[in-house]
Amino acid sequence: MKRALKIAGYTWAVTCIVAVLATFIGNNYFNAKLASATGITISPWFSGGEIVGSIDHGTYKTVIRRPVFDGLIGERKEGFIQIEWQPVTVLPPVIEDRIDFTGDGKEDFAFRLDTTAGTGALTPRNPSVIAIQTLVKVNQGWVARIQLRKVS
Amino acid sequence: MMKEHPPQEKTVEVRQSAGKSFLFALPMMLLTLMMMLGGRIPSDPQQLFVFAVTYLFFNVLFFLMLHTGKTDRYRAIAFITFSLLFVVSFVSHMFEARGSMSLSHEKIILCEVPFCHLVIPMTLIPAAFTKTIIFPGMITGGFASIASMFVIWIGASLSMGRGWCSWGCFFGGLDDAFSRILKKPLLRKINPRWTYLPWAVLLAIVLTAAAFLSPTYCTWLCPFKTVTEFQAVTSFKILVQTIIFVSLFIALVIVLPLLTKRRIQCSLFCPFGPMQALTNRINVFDVRIDPDICTNCKRCVKACPTLSITEESVRAGRTLMSCMKCGTCVDVCPSGAAAFHVRGTPVEENRNMKRLLFLYVAFLFLATFSAGMIQDGLSRIIRLITTGSMI
Repeated sequence: MKRALKIAGYTWAVTCIVAVLATFIGNNYFNAKLASATGITISPWFSGGEIVGSIDHGTYKTVIRRPVFDGLIGERKEGFIQIEWQPVTVLPPVIEDRIDFTGDGKEDFAFRLDTTAGTGALTPRNPSVIAIQTLVKVNQGWVARIQLRKVS
Repeated sequence: MMKEHPPQEKTVEVRQSAGKSFLFALPMMLLTLMMMLGGRIPSDPQQLFVFAVTYLFFNVLFFLMLHTGKTDRYRAIAFITFSLLFVVSFVSHMFEARGSMSLSHEKIILCEVPFCHLVIPMTLIPAAFTKTIIFPGMITGGFASIASMFVIWIGASLSMGRGWCSWGCFFGGLDDAFSRILKKPLLRKINPRWTYLPWAVLLAIVLTAAAFLSPTYCTWLCPFKTVTEFQAVTSFKILVQTIIFVSLFIALVIVLPLLTKRRIQCSLFCPFGPMQALTNRINVFDVRIDPDICTNCKRCVKACPTLSITEESVRAGRTLMSCMKCGTCVDVCPSGAAAFHVRGTPVEENRNMKRLLFLYVAFLFLATFSAGMIQDGLSRIIRLITTGSMI
Protein backbone atom coordinates (compact mmCIF):
# COMPACT_ATOMS: atom_id res chain seq x y z
CA MET A 1 0.00 0.00 0.00
CA LYS A 2 2.80 2.40 0.97
CA ARG A 3 4.62 1.63 -2.25
CA ALA A 4 1.47 2.19 -4.31
CA LEU A 5 0.88 5.52 -2.57
CA LYS A 6 4.46 6.53 -3.22
CA ILE A 7 4.24 5.69 -6.91
CA ALA A 8 0.89 7.51 -7.16
CA GLY A 9 2.37 10.56 -5.39
CA TYR A 10 5.38 10.85 -7.69
CA THR A 11 3.28 10.19 -10.79
CA TRP A 12 0.85 12.88 -9.74
CA ALA A 13 3.74 15.28 -9.10
CA VAL A 14 5.18 14.70 -12.60
CA THR A 15 1.68 15.08 -14.08
CA CYS A 16 1.58 18.56 -12.53
CA ILE A 17 4.38 19.63 -14.91
CA VAL A 18 2.23 18.43 -17.80
CA ALA A 19 -0.73 20.32 -16.29
CA VAL A 20 1.25 23.58 -16.29
CA LEU A 21 2.29 23.09 -19.93
CA ALA A 22 -1.27 22.20 -20.94
CA THR A 23 -2.70 25.21 -19.09
CA PHE A 24 -0.72 27.64 -21.18
CA ILE A 25 -0.26 25.80 -24.48
CA GLY A 26 -3.91 24.76 -24.59
CA ASN A 27 -5.39 27.89 -23.02
CA ASN A 28 -7.22 29.02 -26.18
CA TYR A 29 -8.59 25.55 -26.82
CA PHE A 30 -9.60 24.94 -23.22
CA ASN A 31 -11.21 28.33 -22.70
CA ALA A 32 -13.29 27.98 -25.88
CA LYS A 33 -14.30 24.46 -24.76
CA LEU A 34 -15.13 25.68 -21.26
CA ALA A 35 -17.31 28.46 -22.63
CA SER A 36 -19.16 26.25 -25.10
CA ALA A 37 -19.55 23.26 -22.77
CA THR A 38 -21.00 25.32 -19.93
CA GLY A 39 -22.99 27.65 -22.20
CA ILE A 40 -22.19 30.41 -19.76
CA THR A 41 -22.90 34.03 -20.69
CA ILE A 42 -22.47 37.44 -19.09
CA SER A 43 -25.16 38.31 -16.56
CA PRO A 44 -27.90 40.53 -18.08
CA TRP A 45 -27.24 42.94 -15.21
CA PHE A 46 -24.04 43.75 -17.07
CA SER A 47 -24.76 42.85 -20.70
CA GLY A 48 -28.17 44.54 -20.70
CA GLY A 49 -30.12 41.39 -21.59
CA GLU A 50 -31.08 39.88 -24.95
CA ILE A 51 -32.28 42.04 -27.83
CA VAL A 52 -36.03 41.66 -28.30
CA GLY A 53 -36.73 44.23 -30.95
CA SER A 54 -35.46 47.11 -33.03
CA ILE A 55 -37.02 50.10 -34.77
CA ASP A 56 -35.50 51.23 -38.05
CA HIS A 57 -35.49 55.02 -38.43
CA GLY A 58 -33.49 55.17 -41.67
CA THR A 59 -30.34 56.96 -40.53
CA TYR A 60 -30.31 55.20 -37.17
CA LYS A 61 -32.02 52.37 -35.36
CA THR A 62 -33.39 51.90 -31.86
CA VAL A 63 -32.55 48.58 -30.24
CA ILE A 64 -34.74 47.35 -27.38
CA ARG A 65 -33.47 44.71 -24.97
CA ARG A 66 -35.63 42.64 -22.66
CA PRO A 67 -36.45 44.02 -19.22
CA VAL A 68 -33.98 42.62 -16.68
CA PHE A 69 -35.41 41.54 -13.33
CA ASP A 70 -33.30 38.37 -12.97
CA GLY A 71 -32.47 37.29 -9.45
CA LEU A 72 -30.46 34.34 -8.18
CA ILE A 73 -33.71 32.44 -7.79
CA GLY A 74 -36.82 33.93 -9.37
CA GLU A 75 -37.16 37.60 -10.17
CA ARG A 76 -36.48 40.82 -8.34
CA LYS A 77 -38.85 43.69 -7.76
CA GLU A 78 -36.49 46.23 -9.29
CA GLY A 79 -34.81 46.01 -12.65
CA PHE A 80 -34.06 47.96 -15.80
CA ILE A 81 -34.51 47.99 -19.52
CA GLN A 82 -31.70 48.89 -21.90
CA ILE A 83 -32.40 50.92 -25.02
CA GLU A 84 -29.70 51.62 -27.60
CA TRP A 85 -29.56 54.10 -30.45
CA GLN A 86 -27.13 52.98 -33.13
CA PRO A 87 -26.30 55.05 -36.21
CA VAL A 88 -26.81 53.46 -39.62
CA THR A 89 -25.30 56.58 -41.19
CA VAL A 90 -25.52 59.29 -38.55
CA LEU A 91 -27.50 59.99 -35.38
CA PRO A 92 -29.73 63.08 -35.54
CA PRO A 93 -29.08 65.86 -32.98
CA VAL A 94 -32.35 65.07 -31.21
CA ILE A 95 -34.02 61.66 -31.02
CA GLU A 96 -37.55 61.16 -29.76
CA ASP A 97 -38.68 57.58 -29.30
CA ARG A 98 -41.80 55.98 -27.94
CA ILE A 99 -41.08 52.57 -26.48
CA ASP A 100 -43.51 49.73 -25.89
CA PHE A 101 -41.52 47.03 -24.15
CA THR A 102 -44.50 45.12 -22.76
CA GLY A 103 -45.81 44.44 -26.26
CA ASP A 104 -49.38 45.40 -25.37
CA GLY A 105 -49.58 48.04 -28.12
CA LYS A 106 -49.46 50.86 -25.58
CA GLU A 107 -46.51 53.18 -25.19
CA ASP A 108 -44.61 52.48 -21.90
CA PHE A 109 -42.36 55.50 -21.99
CA ALA A 110 -41.14 58.25 -24.25
CA PHE A 111 -37.48 59.16 -24.42
CA ARG A 112 -35.94 62.32 -25.75
CA LEU A 113 -32.20 62.11 -26.37
CA ASP A 114 -30.16 65.18 -27.18
CA THR A 115 -27.09 63.61 -28.79
CA THR A 116 -25.11 66.85 -28.94
CA ALA A 117 -25.64 67.82 -25.29
CA GLY A 118 -25.60 64.19 -24.11
CA THR A 119 -28.79 64.56 -22.10
CA GLY A 120 -31.94 62.50 -21.96
CA ALA A 121 -35.50 63.10 -20.77
CA LEU A 122 -37.82 60.30 -19.77
CA THR A 123 -41.60 60.53 -19.82
CA PRO A 124 -43.09 57.45 -18.12
CA ARG A 125 -46.47 56.27 -19.40
CA ASN A 126 -46.46 53.08 -17.35
CA PRO A 127 -46.23 53.02 -13.50
CA SER A 128 -43.41 50.45 -13.66
CA VAL A 129 -41.10 52.95 -15.41
CA ILE A 130 -39.20 54.90 -12.76
CA ALA A 131 -36.22 56.93 -13.98
CA ILE A 132 -33.10 57.08 -16.15
CA GLN A 133 -30.44 54.95 -14.49
CA THR A 134 -27.61 55.42 -16.98
CA LEU A 135 -27.12 57.31 -20.21
CA VAL A 136 -23.79 56.63 -21.87
CA LYS A 137 -22.23 57.27 -25.26
CA VAL A 138 -20.97 53.95 -26.57
CA ASN A 139 -18.85 53.84 -29.72
CA GLN A 140 -20.91 55.96 -32.16
CA GLY A 141 -24.26 55.39 -30.47
CA TRP A 142 -25.98 55.91 -27.13
CA VAL A 143 -27.18 53.50 -24.45
CA ALA A 144 -29.80 54.25 -21.82
CA ARG A 145 -30.83 52.09 -18.90
CA ILE A 146 -34.27 52.87 -17.56
CA GLN A 147 -35.05 51.83 -14.02
CA LEU A 148 -38.14 49.65 -13.70
CA ARG A 149 -40.18 48.43 -10.77
CA LYS A 150 -42.62 45.55 -10.87
CA VAL A 151 -46.15 46.71 -10.23
CA SER A 152 -48.55 44.11 -8.92
CA MET B 1 8.22 14.87 22.43
CA MET B 2 10.54 16.97 20.32
CA LYS B 3 14.09 17.55 21.42
CA GLU B 4 15.23 21.11 22.12
CA HIS B 5 18.81 21.76 21.19
CA PRO B 6 20.73 24.54 19.48
CA PRO B 7 20.68 24.90 15.70
CA GLN B 8 23.12 22.64 13.96
CA GLU B 9 24.41 22.08 10.47
CA LYS B 10 21.70 21.20 7.99
CA THR B 11 21.06 17.51 8.37
CA VAL B 12 19.70 17.43 4.86
CA GLU B 13 21.85 19.16 2.29
CA VAL B 14 19.83 20.76 -0.50
CA ARG B 15 22.71 22.64 -2.13
CA GLN B 16 24.01 21.21 -5.39
CA SER B 17 27.32 21.57 -7.20
CA ALA B 18 27.40 24.00 -10.14
CA GLY B 19 27.56 21.15 -12.65
CA LYS B 20 24.70 19.23 -11.12
CA SER B 21 22.63 22.40 -10.80
CA PHE B 22 23.22 23.21 -14.46
CA LEU B 23 22.19 19.70 -15.43
CA PHE B 24 18.97 19.92 -13.43
CA ALA B 25 18.34 23.43 -14.75
CA LEU B 26 18.64 22.30 -18.38
CA PRO B 27 15.06 20.97 -18.69
CA MET B 28 13.80 24.28 -17.26
CA MET B 29 15.91 26.20 -19.81
CA LEU B 30 14.33 24.22 -22.63
CA LEU B 31 10.80 24.42 -21.25
CA THR B 32 10.96 28.16 -20.55
CA LEU B 33 12.46 28.73 -24.01
CA MET B 34 9.61 26.81 -25.60
CA MET B 35 6.89 28.47 -23.50
CA MET B 36 8.27 32.00 -23.72
CA LEU B 37 8.88 31.90 -27.47
CA GLY B 38 5.49 30.43 -28.25
CA GLY B 39 6.77 29.20 -31.60
CA ARG B 40 8.28 32.43 -32.93
CA ILE B 41 11.52 34.33 -32.39
CA PRO B 42 11.01 38.10 -31.91
CA SER B 43 12.07 39.92 -35.09
CA ASP B 44 12.31 43.39 -33.55
CA PRO B 45 15.79 43.91 -31.96
CA GLN B 46 14.31 45.58 -28.86
CA GLN B 47 11.84 42.75 -28.37
CA LEU B 48 14.62 40.22 -28.85
CA PHE B 49 16.72 42.03 -26.24
CA VAL B 50 13.83 42.12 -23.78
CA PHE B 51 13.13 38.44 -24.43
CA ALA B 52 16.78 37.53 -23.83
CA VAL B 53 16.91 39.53 -20.59
CA THR B 54 13.70 37.91 -19.30
CA TYR B 55 14.85 34.44 -20.32
CA LEU B 56 18.23 34.88 -18.64
CA PHE B 57 16.60 36.42 -15.57
CA PHE B 58 14.42 33.38 -14.98
CA ASN B 59 17.00 30.77 -15.75
CA VAL B 60 19.73 32.37 -13.66
CA LEU B 61 17.26 32.50 -10.74
CA PHE B 62 16.33 28.85 -11.22
CA PHE B 63 19.98 27.83 -11.41
CA LEU B 64 20.68 29.75 -8.19
CA MET B 65 17.73 28.07 -6.48
CA LEU B 66 19.23 24.70 -7.26
CA HIS B 67 22.84 25.67 -6.61
CA THR B 68 22.32 27.48 -3.28
CA GLY B 69 19.40 25.38 -2.03
CA LYS B 70 17.49 28.60 -1.27
CA THR B 71 13.96 28.77 -2.60
CA ASP B 72 12.23 31.85 -1.22
CA ARG B 73 15.18 34.19 -1.80
CA TYR B 74 15.07 33.73 -5.58
CA ARG B 75 11.34 33.09 -5.84
CA ALA B 76 10.74 36.49 -4.24
CA ILE B 77 12.94 38.25 -6.81
CA ALA B 78 10.95 36.73 -9.68
CA PHE B 79 7.59 37.13 -7.95
CA ILE B 80 8.09 40.77 -6.96
CA THR B 81 9.49 41.66 -10.39
CA PHE B 82 6.40 40.06 -11.91
CA SER B 83 4.04 42.13 -9.78
CA LEU B 84 5.84 45.41 -10.35
CA LEU B 85 6.13 44.95 -14.10
CA PHE B 86 2.55 43.68 -14.28
CA VAL B 87 1.44 47.02 -12.84
CA VAL B 88 3.67 48.92 -15.31
CA SER B 89 2.34 46.86 -18.22
CA PHE B 90 -1.33 46.98 -17.17
CA VAL B 91 -1.41 50.68 -16.39
CA SER B 92 0.40 51.51 -19.66
CA HIS B 93 -2.19 49.47 -21.54
CA MET B 94 -4.99 51.32 -19.77
CA PHE B 95 -3.51 54.69 -20.70
CA GLU B 96 -2.98 53.51 -24.25
CA ALA B 97 -6.55 52.22 -24.62
CA ARG B 98 -8.52 54.69 -22.51
CA GLY B 99 -6.22 57.58 -21.69
CA SER B 100 -6.48 56.94 -17.95
CA MET B 101 -6.66 54.24 -15.27
CA SER B 102 -10.29 54.95 -14.66
CA LEU B 103 -12.94 52.61 -15.91
CA SER B 104 -15.61 54.38 -17.94
CA HIS B 105 -19.32 53.51 -18.00
CA GLU B 106 -18.80 52.76 -21.68
CA LYS B 107 -16.37 49.89 -20.97
CA ILE B 108 -18.74 48.46 -18.36
CA ILE B 109 -21.73 48.64 -20.72
CA LEU B 110 -19.67 47.06 -23.52
CA CYS B 111 -18.50 44.32 -21.08
CA GLU B 112 -14.83 44.95 -21.84
CA VAL B 113 -13.43 45.00 -18.30
CA PRO B 114 -10.39 42.71 -17.82
CA PHE B 115 -11.21 39.78 -15.54
CA CYS B 116 -8.96 38.71 -12.68
CA HIS B 117 -8.80 35.62 -10.48
CA LEU B 118 -10.03 37.50 -7.39
CA VAL B 119 -13.51 37.61 -8.93
CA ILE B 120 -13.74 33.82 -9.29
CA PRO B 121 -15.11 32.99 -5.79
CA MET B 122 -17.98 35.45 -6.30
CA THR B 123 -18.96 34.08 -9.68
CA LEU B 124 -19.43 30.43 -8.72
CA ILE B 125 -22.85 30.46 -6.99
CA PRO B 126 -24.51 32.83 -9.52
CA ALA B 127 -22.99 30.76 -12.36
CA ALA B 128 -24.42 27.57 -10.88
CA PHE B 129 -27.91 29.05 -10.48
CA THR B 130 -28.22 31.38 -13.46
CA LYS B 131 -25.57 30.12 -15.92
CA THR B 132 -24.23 33.66 -16.11
CA ILE B 133 -21.09 35.40 -14.89
CA ILE B 134 -21.65 38.47 -12.75
CA PHE B 135 -18.85 40.50 -14.25
CA PRO B 136 -18.75 43.00 -17.15
CA GLY B 137 -16.01 41.15 -19.00
CA MET B 138 -15.69 39.00 -22.10
CA ILE B 139 -16.29 35.25 -21.89
CA THR B 140 -13.64 34.52 -24.53
CA GLY B 141 -11.27 36.59 -26.68
CA GLY B 142 -9.81 39.98 -25.96
CA PHE B 143 -7.55 40.88 -23.05
CA ALA B 144 -7.93 38.80 -19.83
CA SER B 145 -11.11 37.02 -20.78
CA ILE B 146 -13.17 35.20 -18.17
CA ALA B 147 -12.78 31.70 -19.62
CA SER B 148 -9.01 32.04 -20.03
CA MET B 149 -8.63 33.16 -16.41
CA PHE B 150 -10.74 30.20 -15.27
CA VAL B 151 -8.48 27.84 -17.25
CA ILE B 152 -5.39 29.38 -15.65
CA TRP B 153 -7.01 29.09 -12.21
CA ILE B 154 -7.90 25.41 -12.76
CA GLY B 155 -4.38 24.70 -14.04
CA ALA B 156 -2.83 26.52 -11.06
CA SER B 157 -5.07 24.72 -8.58
CA LEU B 158 -4.23 21.32 -10.04
CA SER B 159 -0.51 21.97 -10.24
CA MET B 160 0.28 24.15 -7.21
CA GLY B 161 -2.84 24.50 -5.08
CA ARG B 162 -2.35 27.43 -2.78
CA GLY B 163 1.16 27.80 -4.15
CA TRP B 164 -0.62 30.15 -6.60
CA CYS B 165 -0.47 32.86 -3.91
CA SER B 166 3.33 32.80 -3.91
CA TRP B 167 4.14 31.72 -7.44
CA GLY B 168 1.31 32.89 -9.71
CA CYS B 169 -0.68 35.80 -8.29
CA PHE B 170 0.27 39.04 -10.03
CA PHE B 171 -0.80 41.07 -6.99
CA GLY B 172 0.89 39.01 -4.26
CA GLY B 173 4.36 40.33 -5.07
CA LEU B 174 3.37 43.82 -3.97
CA ASP B 175 2.81 43.04 -0.30
CA ASP B 176 5.62 40.47 -0.48
CA ALA B 177 7.89 43.36 -1.56
CA PHE B 178 6.76 45.70 1.22
CA SER B 179 7.11 42.93 3.83
CA ARG B 180 10.79 42.64 2.96
CA ILE B 181 11.84 46.28 3.23
CA LEU B 182 12.62 46.46 6.96
CA LYS B 183 15.20 44.12 8.50
CA LYS B 184 13.19 43.54 11.66
CA PRO B 185 9.47 43.85 12.27
CA LEU B 186 8.23 46.83 14.28
CA LEU B 187 4.96 45.07 15.07
CA ARG B 188 5.65 41.57 16.27
CA LYS B 189 2.51 40.33 17.89
CA ILE B 190 -0.39 39.44 15.63
CA ASN B 191 -3.35 37.78 17.26
CA PRO B 192 -3.81 34.40 15.51
CA ARG B 193 -7.56 35.05 15.43
CA TRP B 194 -6.95 37.45 12.54
CA THR B 195 -6.18 34.43 10.37
CA TYR B 196 -9.93 33.71 10.31
CA LEU B 197 -10.61 37.09 8.70
CA PRO B 198 -10.03 35.95 5.07
CA TRP B 199 -12.57 33.18 5.61
CA ALA B 200 -15.05 35.75 6.87
CA VAL B 201 -14.29 38.00 3.88
CA LEU B 202 -14.72 35.04 1.52
CA LEU B 203 -18.05 34.07 3.08
CA ALA B 204 -19.27 37.67 3.08
CA ILE B 205 -18.40 38.36 -0.55
CA VAL B 206 -19.73 35.04 -1.81
CA LEU B 207 -23.07 35.63 -0.07
CA THR B 208 -23.39 39.30 -0.98
CA ALA B 209 -22.36 38.60 -4.60
CA ALA B 210 -25.04 35.91 -4.82
CA ALA B 211 -27.62 38.15 -3.20
CA PHE B 212 -26.93 41.27 -5.27
CA LEU B 213 -25.62 39.51 -8.40
CA SER B 214 -22.69 41.87 -8.35
CA PRO B 215 -18.95 41.31 -7.69
CA THR B 216 -19.03 43.03 -4.31
CA TYR B 217 -15.32 42.56 -3.50
CA CYS B 218 -14.34 44.28 -6.76
CA THR B 219 -16.84 47.06 -6.24
CA TRP B 220 -16.15 47.82 -2.61
CA LEU B 221 -12.97 46.27 -1.27
CA CYS B 222 -10.31 45.22 -3.77
CA PRO B 223 -7.19 47.22 -2.78
CA PHE B 224 -5.43 46.40 -6.03
CA LYS B 225 -7.73 48.68 -7.98
CA THR B 226 -5.35 51.39 -6.77
CA VAL B 227 -2.63 50.08 -9.07
CA THR B 228 -4.74 48.74 -11.94
CA GLU B 229 -8.09 50.30 -12.81
CA PHE B 230 -11.00 51.84 -10.96
CA GLN B 231 -14.31 53.41 -11.73
CA ALA B 232 -14.18 57.12 -12.51
CA VAL B 233 -15.51 59.12 -9.55
CA THR B 234 -18.83 60.39 -10.84
CA SER B 235 -20.97 60.03 -7.73
CA PHE B 236 -20.75 60.11 -3.93
CA LYS B 237 -21.09 56.31 -3.81
CA ILE B 238 -18.06 55.84 -6.10
CA LEU B 239 -16.13 58.38 -4.03
CA VAL B 240 -16.78 56.30 -0.88
CA GLN B 241 -15.73 53.13 -2.73
CA THR B 242 -12.55 54.86 -3.89
CA ILE B 243 -11.67 56.01 -0.37
CA ILE B 244 -12.20 52.45 0.91
CA PHE B 245 -10.03 50.65 -1.65
CA VAL B 246 -7.22 53.21 -1.55
CA SER B 247 -7.20 53.08 2.28
CA LEU B 248 -7.12 49.28 2.18
CA PHE B 249 -4.23 49.37 -0.26
CA ILE B 250 -2.23 51.73 1.91
CA ALA B 251 -2.99 49.77 5.10
CA LEU B 252 -2.89 46.15 3.93
CA VAL B 253 -0.41 46.21 1.07
CA ILE B 254 2.02 48.91 2.20
CA VAL B 255 1.95 49.89 5.88
CA LEU B 256 1.11 46.65 7.71
CA PRO B 257 3.41 44.39 5.65
CA LEU B 258 6.15 46.98 6.19
CA LEU B 259 5.63 47.03 9.98
CA THR B 260 5.04 43.31 10.54
CA LYS B 261 7.21 41.75 7.83
CA ARG B 262 4.21 39.56 7.03
CA ARG B 263 2.11 39.39 3.86
CA ILE B 264 -0.92 40.93 5.54
CA GLN B 265 -3.16 41.39 2.49
CA CYS B 266 -2.49 37.84 1.27
CA SER B 267 -2.77 36.10 4.62
CA LEU B 268 -5.28 38.20 6.55
CA PHE B 269 -7.65 39.69 3.99
CA CYS B 270 -7.60 38.26 0.46
CA PRO B 271 -10.65 36.01 -0.09
CA PHE B 272 -9.00 34.12 -2.92
CA GLY B 273 -6.45 32.62 -0.51
CA PRO B 274 -8.99 30.61 1.52
CA MET B 275 -10.54 29.36 -1.68
CA GLN B 276 -7.12 28.20 -2.84
CA ALA B 277 -6.67 26.56 0.57
CA LEU B 278 -9.71 24.45 -0.34
CA THR B 279 -8.54 23.63 -3.88
CA ASN B 280 -5.15 22.85 -2.34
CA ARG B 281 -6.73 19.64 -1.05
CA ILE B 282 -6.43 18.17 -4.53
CA ASN B 283 -2.81 19.26 -4.90
CA VAL B 284 0.06 16.85 -4.38
CA PHE B 285 2.64 19.25 -2.97
CA ASP B 286 2.84 20.53 0.60
CA VAL B 287 5.43 21.59 3.15
CA ARG B 288 6.23 19.20 6.00
CA ILE B 289 8.39 19.44 9.08
CA ASP B 290 10.22 16.27 9.98
CA PRO B 291 9.90 15.92 13.78
CA ASP B 292 12.92 13.60 13.89
CA ILE B 293 15.34 16.28 12.77
CA CYS B 294 13.47 19.40 13.97
CA THR B 295 15.48 21.20 16.66
CA ASN B 296 12.45 23.20 17.79
CA CYS B 297 14.30 26.48 17.23
CA LYS B 298 11.00 28.11 16.08
CA ARG B 299 12.72 30.08 13.32
CA CYS B 300 10.07 28.91 10.87
CA VAL B 301 7.29 30.14 13.18
CA LYS B 302 8.93 33.58 13.39
CA ALA B 303 9.81 33.81 9.71
CA CYS B 304 6.63 32.53 8.05
CA PRO B 305 5.26 35.59 6.20
CA THR B 306 1.76 34.13 6.08
CA LEU B 307 1.38 33.03 9.72
CA SER B 308 1.04 29.45 8.52
CA ILE B 309 3.32 27.80 11.06
CA THR B 310 2.54 27.63 14.76
CA GLU B 311 4.22 25.67 17.54
CA GLU B 312 1.35 23.17 17.39
CA SER B 313 1.67 22.76 13.65
CA VAL B 314 5.43 22.20 14.02
CA ARG B 315 4.68 19.48 16.56
CA ALA B 316 2.22 17.96 14.09
CA GLY B 317 4.90 18.14 11.38
CA ARG B 318 2.74 20.24 9.04
CA THR B 319 2.02 23.80 8.03
CA LEU B 320 -1.47 25.28 8.35
CA MET B 321 -3.83 25.28 5.39
CA SER B 322 -2.96 28.94 4.76
CA CYS B 323 0.55 27.86 3.66
CA MET B 324 1.41 29.44 0.28
CA LYS B 325 4.46 27.23 -0.34
CA CYS B 326 6.75 30.27 -0.60
CA GLY B 327 9.66 28.31 0.86
CA THR B 328 10.63 30.81 3.61
CA CYS B 329 10.49 28.12 6.32
CA VAL B 330 12.47 25.74 4.12
CA ASP B 331 15.15 28.44 3.68
CA VAL B 332 15.44 29.44 7.35
CA CYS B 333 15.27 25.95 8.87
CA PRO B 334 18.77 25.34 10.23
CA SER B 335 18.41 21.57 10.35
CA GLY B 336 16.55 21.05 7.07
CA ALA B 337 13.50 19.66 8.87
CA ALA B 338 11.12 21.89 6.88
CA ALA B 339 10.94 20.67 3.32
CA PHE B 340 8.73 20.49 0.26
CA HIS B 341 6.88 17.20 0.20
CA VAL B 342 4.92 15.04 -2.21
CA ARG B 343 1.77 13.59 -0.67
CA GLY B 344 1.75 9.84 -0.25
CA THR B 345 5.52 9.63 0.10
CA PRO B 346 7.54 9.28 3.33
CA VAL B 347 8.62 12.69 4.68
CA GLU B 348 12.25 11.74 5.21
CA GLU B 349 12.79 10.24 1.76
CA ASN B 350 14.20 11.89 -1.41
CA ARG B 351 13.84 15.46 -0.15
CA ASN B 352 15.92 16.94 -2.95
CA MET B 353 13.89 15.21 -5.61
CA LYS B 354 10.60 16.38 -4.06
CA ARG B 355 11.87 19.94 -3.89
CA LEU B 356 13.02 19.71 -7.48
CA LEU B 357 9.64 18.39 -8.61
CA PHE B 358 7.82 21.21 -6.83
CA LEU B 359 10.23 23.80 -8.21
CA TYR B 360 9.80 22.53 -11.75
CA VAL B 361 6.03 22.91 -11.45
CA ALA B 362 5.87 26.20 -9.56
CA PHE B 363 8.76 27.94 -11.31
CA LEU B 364 7.61 26.85 -14.75
CA PHE B 365 4.16 28.25 -13.96
CA LEU B 366 5.62 31.53 -12.70
CA ALA B 367 8.00 31.92 -15.65
CA THR B 368 5.38 31.06 -18.27
CA PHE B 369 2.59 33.13 -16.76
CA SER B 370 4.69 36.19 -16.05
CA ALA B 371 7.11 36.25 -19.00
CA GLY B 372 4.78 38.13 -21.35
CA MET B 373 3.94 40.78 -18.75
CA ILE B 374 7.57 41.14 -17.63
CA GLN B 375 8.66 41.59 -21.25
CA ASP B 376 5.94 44.15 -21.90
CA GLY B 377 6.78 45.98 -18.66
CA LEU B 378 10.48 46.07 -19.58
CA SER B 379 9.67 47.31 -23.10
CA ARG B 380 7.57 50.11 -21.59
CA ILE B 381 10.41 51.13 -19.28
CA ILE B 382 12.88 51.15 -22.20
CA ARG B 383 10.38 53.24 -24.17
CA LEU B 384 10.08 55.62 -21.22
CA ILE B 385 13.85 56.04 -21.04
CA THR B 386 14.33 56.49 -24.78
CA THR B 387 11.21 58.48 -25.73
CA GLY B 388 9.96 59.91 -22.44
CA SER B 389 6.64 58.07 -22.70
CA MET B 390 5.51 54.56 -21.79
CA ILE B 391 2.70 54.44 -24.35
